[in-house]
Amino acid sequence: MRPSTPETVRRANLRALAVALLAAALALAMLCLPLYRFSATVFAKKSGNTFVGDEKYQAVRAEVEAEAARRAEVTDRMPEIVENVTERTNSKGEKTSMVAFEVREVMRRTGWQFIASGLGCGKVLLAALICFVAALALLGAGLPGAMATDWPTLPASKRAPRRIAAALGLAALLLIPVFMMGCNLAFSRQIKLASDGFAKPGLEALLEKLDRFLYDGAAGEDTLNLMGGVAYGPTWALRALIALLAAFTLGALMLSEGHPAEALRRALLYAFIIALCALILYPYYVMVITGFRSNAETTDMYFQHLLPTKWVWSNLRDIINRGVPRFLLNSLMLSVGATVIALLCGIPAAYAMARMRFAGKKAFLGFVIMSQMFSPVVLLVGISRLMNAIHLNDSVWGLMFINAAFNQAFAIWLLRGTFVSISSEMEQAACIDGCNTVSAMLRVLLPMAAPGIVTTLIFVFINAWNEYTISTVLISTAANKPITVGITQFSSFNMIEWQYLFAAALVATIPVVILFMCIEKHLAAGLTAGGVKG
Amino acid sequence: MNTIPIRHKWEPYLWLLPSLLLMSIFVVFPIGIVFKLSVSEISKSGVVRGFIGLKNFRDAFRDPAFGTVMLNTAVWVVSVVGLSTLLGFITAMALNAKFFGRKVARSIVVFPWATSLVIQASVWNYIIKGEYGSLNNILLNLGVIKSAVNWRATYQIEFAWECGVGIFVTIPFVAFTVLAGLQSIDDAYYEAATVDGAGFWKKLRHVTIPLVKPSLTVCTVLNIIYVFNSFPIIYTITKGAPANKTDTMVTLLYMRAFYDNQKGPATAMSVIGFAILCVCAGAYMMTTMRKEEA
Repeated sequence: MRPSTPETVRRANLRALAVALLAAALALAMLCLPLYRFSATVFAKKSGNTFVGDEKYQAVRAEVEAEAARRAEVTDRMPEIVENVTERTNSKGEKTSMVAFEVREVMRRTGWQFIASGLGCGKVLLAALICFVAALALLGAGLPGAMATDWPTLPASKRAPRRIAAALGLAALLLIPVFMMGCNLAFSRQIKLASDGFAKPGLEALLEKLDRFLYDGAAGEDTLNLMGGVAYGPTWALRALIALLAAFTLGALMLSEGHPAEALRRALLYAFIIALCALILYPYYVMVITGFRSNAETTDMYFQHLLPTKWVWSNLRDIINRGVPRFLLNSLMLSVGATVIALLCGIPAAYAMARMRFAGKKAFLGFVIMSQMFSPVVLLVGISRLMNAIHLNDSVWGLMFINAAFNQAFAIWLLRGTFVSISSEMEQAACIDGCNTVSAMLRVLLPMAAPGIVTTLIFVFINAWNEYTISTVLISTAANKPITVGITQFSSFNMIEWQYLFAAALVATIPVVILFMCIEKHLAAGLTAGGVKG
Repeated sequence: MNTIPIRHKWEPYLWLLPSLLLMSIFVVFPIGIVFKLSVSEISKSGVVRGFIGLKNFRDAFRDPAFGTVMLNTAVWVVSVVGLSTLLGFITAMALNAKFFGRKVARSIVVFPWATSLVIQASVWNYIIKGEYGSLNNILLNLGVIKSAVNWRATYQIEFAWECGVGIFVTIPFVAFTVLAGLQSIDDAYYEAATVDGAGFWKKLRHVTIPLVKPSLTVCTVLNIIYVFNSFPIIYTITKGAPANKTDTMVTLLYMRAFYDNQKGPATAMSVIGFAILCVCAGAYMMTTMRKEEA
């Protein structure tokens, strides 16, 4: 890194500030420019077998122009006349043209007009504007008196406003796609829905606002029809606005982080994290909104809301009536049983592996590792025959043992890692004092290893809870199904009851996700500890 | 050495006994059954009729879907393991940096790992539904597309989606094992590299990657095994349809064993699967054992 003197810092800060302020000024200017361009056909006329400029053409042209002038009187704007010429050769080999005229009204709306319209998208734009102004104000608060302070030594009172300004700039930036989504909803999706005869509540109010926004209130009853033929698109000013907000955010980041490279790295980091979290949360969001929608809405092609229009809590009652509590109870029994068995068998084995010297230790380790590669799926035929033979098929007990056995490897792996990382001095002392090995382990080692044991416990529990494949083969009686198999009853070949499927999935997912979040910190360390610490 | 004294020579084996017993009955025994069945004639009703040599294997290789399915399995394992390792590594790097809300981000990244695969697969199945799927809805709302797109037009695209879901659910496992490796790197290495004038990429190549390599190897080999054996995603989204074109080996053997009642060829496929995985497990053991000695 270059050495930074107050002078270089001041100059770099000035540069960053110039970027931010220029971007800010231009962004505000963009709001005064049209953000969207609308164009709607109000009149169409075709003229066949003609040449551009001949009588027939002139006649149609005059008619179209008269119509356009009539429109201009109504709306005080001269509409655009579009000519589409299609050339073709007739049977005699002469070239003629087909001319299609369209009278299109082109309308442009600025950011301020959007904000004043009262439409949903206008409100989003207003929110973005407020974020942006707040960011500017914070930038003003975070700069005076510290323009030449090197970034690492910035006091929190100066750094925090700059950082928050950058975050608000980012928020404003992210609100622009939301604004565009709002525009789509207002100008096209809800209109299409209404003209297809699926009127949703609030349509009247929307049409009234649209009428005022686009037609100065002149369209009245016709608004729905007129809106049906509207083509619209963002203008360059809107795209410039996005770029300018990004530039502003980057400028604010440079003011709080220092060198442009560092600021850019931070920006990329945040962009990646936000995109990743959004992607990961997306299926869960879908689960939530679908689990609480009515059946009709889950298969609605025109569903356009971020949340269910009406939260159907009765879905929960319905899944309770269709056996979900029983499935959950089975899952709970199976997971608790599997966890207890896995730990009862795994703790002594891990203890021996961590603390004792004996012939065949490596062979056992190899055996444990080998058992990992035999997944239950490939062994299903063998497992189902075995369970038939010992009469544990179609029972939760059988599943307990299978899950415990297939989690042994991981349990021993995690526990051994934990035990190895704890010094054996205390146990040795206990042994000298006449304590036997068993009580040395129980009284001395296990309390110290508690975090590692809890991690293993939760890990095995979650694996057993989420297991699907063995259960689906072994269990045929509905009353014995765990939740992962139970929820598939809502998706038969020809009809899937999405709302019940996802309501049940949600109930099955939330507890384990919370459990997993608790061990996340220890788990990562434990997974590699087994391998790295040998 | 961190050990404690033992009273009797057989004491350690007593400690291992419960675990050994559990795994012998419920893992080793089924393995034995599968191997035995793979060389036995099995009647339609499931009665074992005795030794028939390698006929089941011949039937398995002659299965009309075998070629496609082997290719699918290769594509499935390579793409899911490869891309999830790459993306998981980037995720781990990002989660290791200091930033506002890191705790929240880490908790969120854990989500797919904690969720049952059959549930994840069901949700994605809904997301990519043709007419009313959530993806179409969102893109229509955003104005990215003007009319609903059929996201599962051909079986190749469906298979690509399945690979995508596989990658999606595998990223957290990679990210967290690599993150553990990253956290154990001493900052002094980076400081030394900075003094030597190394930039981001040089530090990545000469400090980060060599030092997280052990964690990365362990997790890649485990991943190969898990992904090879992964069943619920494909079973939920396409069930191998159309005509086994999107099956991998494990879904095909499941179908053959429990739908088409061809237990013999199915167990032969299991054994072929073991053979393939043995190579991977061998590599795994060699890497872990070598580390043990180091």
